[in-house]
Amino acid sequence: MSLALQLLVNGLVSGGLLGVAALGVALIFGVMRVVNFAHGEFITLGAYATWLLVSQLHLSPLVGLPVAFVLGALVGVVVQAVVLARVTGRPELDVLMVTYALSVLGLGLFAQGFGGDFRSYSQGPHGNLDVAGAIIGWRSLTVLLACVAMSGATVLVIQRTRLGLGLRALAQNRDSAATCGINVVAAERIAFALASGLAAAAGCLVSMIGTTTPNVGHDLVLDAFVVVILGGMGSISGALVGALALGLVQSVVSYALDDSWSRMVAYLLLYCIILLRPQGLFGRAAA
Amino acid sequence: MSEATIERAPPRPHLRSDTLGLVIATIALAALGIALPALGASGYIRTLVYYSAFYLALGQAWNIMSGLTGYLSFAHGALSGIGAYGVVIAMNADWPMGASLAVAGGAAVLASLVIGATSLRLRGAAFTFATLFFQELMLLAVRKLPFAGGPGGLVLEQILPEWIAYVGMILLAGVATIGFALIRRSRLGIRVLAIKGDEDAAASIGIAATRLKLILFCVSALLAGLAGAVHALFTASLYPDVAFSVDLSLIALAVPLIGGVATASGPALGALLYVGLREALQLIAPSAHLTILGLLLLVVVLYMRDGIGPTLARLIRRSR
Repeated sequence: MSLALQLLVNGLVSGGLLGVAALGVALIFGVMRVVNFAHGEFITLGAYATWLLVSQLHLSPLVGLPVAFVLGALVGVVVQAVVLARVTGRPELDVLMVTYALSVLGLGLFAQGFGGDFRSYSQGPHGNLDVAGAIIGWRSLTVLLACVAMSGATVLVIQRTRLGLGLRALAQNRDSAATCGINVVAAERIAFALASGLAAAAGCLVSMIGTTTPNVGHDLVLDAFVVVILGGMGSISGALVGALALGLVQSVVSYALDDSWSRMVAYLLLYCIILLRPQGLFGRAAA
Repeated sequence: MSEATIERAPPRPHLRSDTLGLVIATIALAALGIALPALGASGYIRTLVYYSAFYLALGQAWNIMSGLTGYLSFAHGALSGIGAYGVVIAMNADWPMGASLAVAGGAAVLASLVIGATSLRLRGAAFTFATLFFQELMLLAVRKLPFAGGPGGLVLEQILPEWIAYVGMILLAGVATIGFALIRRSRLGIRVLAIKGDEDAAASIGIAATRLKLILFCVSALLAGLAGAVHALFTASLYPDVAFSVDLSLIALAVPLIGGVATASGPALGALLYVGLREALQLIAPSAHLTILGLLLLVVVLYMRDGIGPTLARLIRRSR
C-alpha cells in the first residue's frame, strides 16, 4: 500500500513538471501553429538561472521561480520577435527548421557556457514527510504544489480573462479572430512569452529535484511532445491529463524496470497514437 | 499552412544537358578523390575527403526524402546507425562483405517502412515527430540489445585494408548524387515536387502521395544505411552513443540545407563547407561547434531559403 502511494506521489511530481512543460508546447502550437523544438532550451535556461542564483548569490531556489519566469518570458519575446515572426506563413519545413536550429543553438550555448557537468545544490526545502509509510520529500512536495499552482493559473488566464479569450479565438480560427479585431501579432507574442516563462519556471523546479545539464530541458520536452500528441495537438486540458497519465505510467515502469525503459514506453506510446488515433485521445479529427 | 506553401516558386526545370554535366562532374570528382592516395595525398587530406564523402552521401539521402517532399526527417543518423550495426553483425557472423552490405541496406529500408507506414499518411509534423522519436528510441534500444553489444558496443573482427571504406564511400556519395539528379528529373521526381507544392492539388490530379513519399523514404533510407555501413567498415568499432548520436542526423540535414536544398550540387557544397568549418573550429574554438552550426542553420533558413549555393548563383547572375 505504501509502495503504491509512493509511486503515486513520484508519478504526480514528474507528471506535474511534464504538465507545465506540455502546457507551453500546446499553447504555442494552439495559438501560433508552431511546433517549438526549442521549448526545452527554455527549461534549461530556467534551471541554470536558478542554479546561478543559488550557488553565486546564495539565494533560496524558490526565489528562482519568479526570476526564471520573467527571464524566460523576456528571452521568449525577443526570440519570437526577432526569429519566429519572420517565418509566419512560410512553409512548414521552414518553421520546423527554425525552431530546430534555435534548439541546436541553445544546446550549444549551454554546453559552451556551463560544460557538461552535473549541477545541483542542497539549499531550499529539505527534509521528508512520512505519510502512511510513503516518504515524501519537502522538495518534491514544493515542486508538485508549484506545478499545480502554475498550471491552475495558466488555465484560469486562458479560460477566464479577455486575453485568454483572444488566445482561444486565435487557436480556433486565425482569420476570423483577426477580422474580429484581435491583434494577432501581439497575441502570438504574449502566448510565446507566457509559454517560455512557464518553461523556465519549470526549469527552476527541475533544478530543485534533479541535476542540471545542458540536455535537461531537451529530454523533458521529448516527453512533453508525447503528452501533447497524446492529448491532441494544441489542447490544453488534453496536455495536462496526458501529462499526469504519462507521469504515473513512467513512475511505475521506472520502478518495475528502469529509467530508460520508462522513456522507451513513452516513445512507443507515441507510435501507437500516431498509428491508431492521430488526432490524439481528446482531439477532434483534423478538418 | 497549405495556402502558404504555394508561394514558394517551383524550382527551375532542369535541362537534359544540366543533368549530363552534373553526372560528368560527379564522375570526374569521384575519380579524382579515388586517385588522391596514388597522387601522394597525405593522410590528413584523405581523412577530409573521406568525411566529405560520408557527409555528402548522408546529405543526399536526406535530400532525396526531405529536400524533395518537404517532410523533415530527424532520423537519418539512426538509419545510418542501423546500417552500421547491420554490416558489423553480419560480417562478424562470417557473411561475405557484399551480403553484409545488403543486410545493412535492407535493415535501414525496413526501419524506414516502419516509420513511414505509421506517419507518412498524415500531414504536417507527424512524420517529423515519428523520426525524432525513432532516433531516441533506437539509441535506448541498442544499449539494451545483447546481440548489439549493449552499451559497450561492437568491434568488427575482420581487419580490412583502409582503401575499401575510402573508395566505397566516394563511390556511394557519387551514386547518391547522380541518383538524386536522376530522381528529380524523373516522372517520380516531378510528381513529388507537385506534392511539396500543394499536396491537396497533387492528390486531386491522381498522384498517390503517400505511396510516393514512402518510396522516396525507402530509397533515402537505403542510401543512409549504406553510408553508415561503409562508415562502420572505416571505424571498425561501434558505440551506441556514437552510431546513434543525434549529431549525425543534424549533419544529414545541415549539409543540404546549407549548400542548397532540393538541388543535386548543393549538398556537395554543403559537405565541403561543413568539413572545412569543423576543421577551422577545431583550431579556433572547439567547444563552439554546436552554437555555430545552430546559428548557421538559422541564418540560412531565415535569409537564404535555398541555401548558400543557389543564393550565390543568383547574386552572381544579378551582378552581371
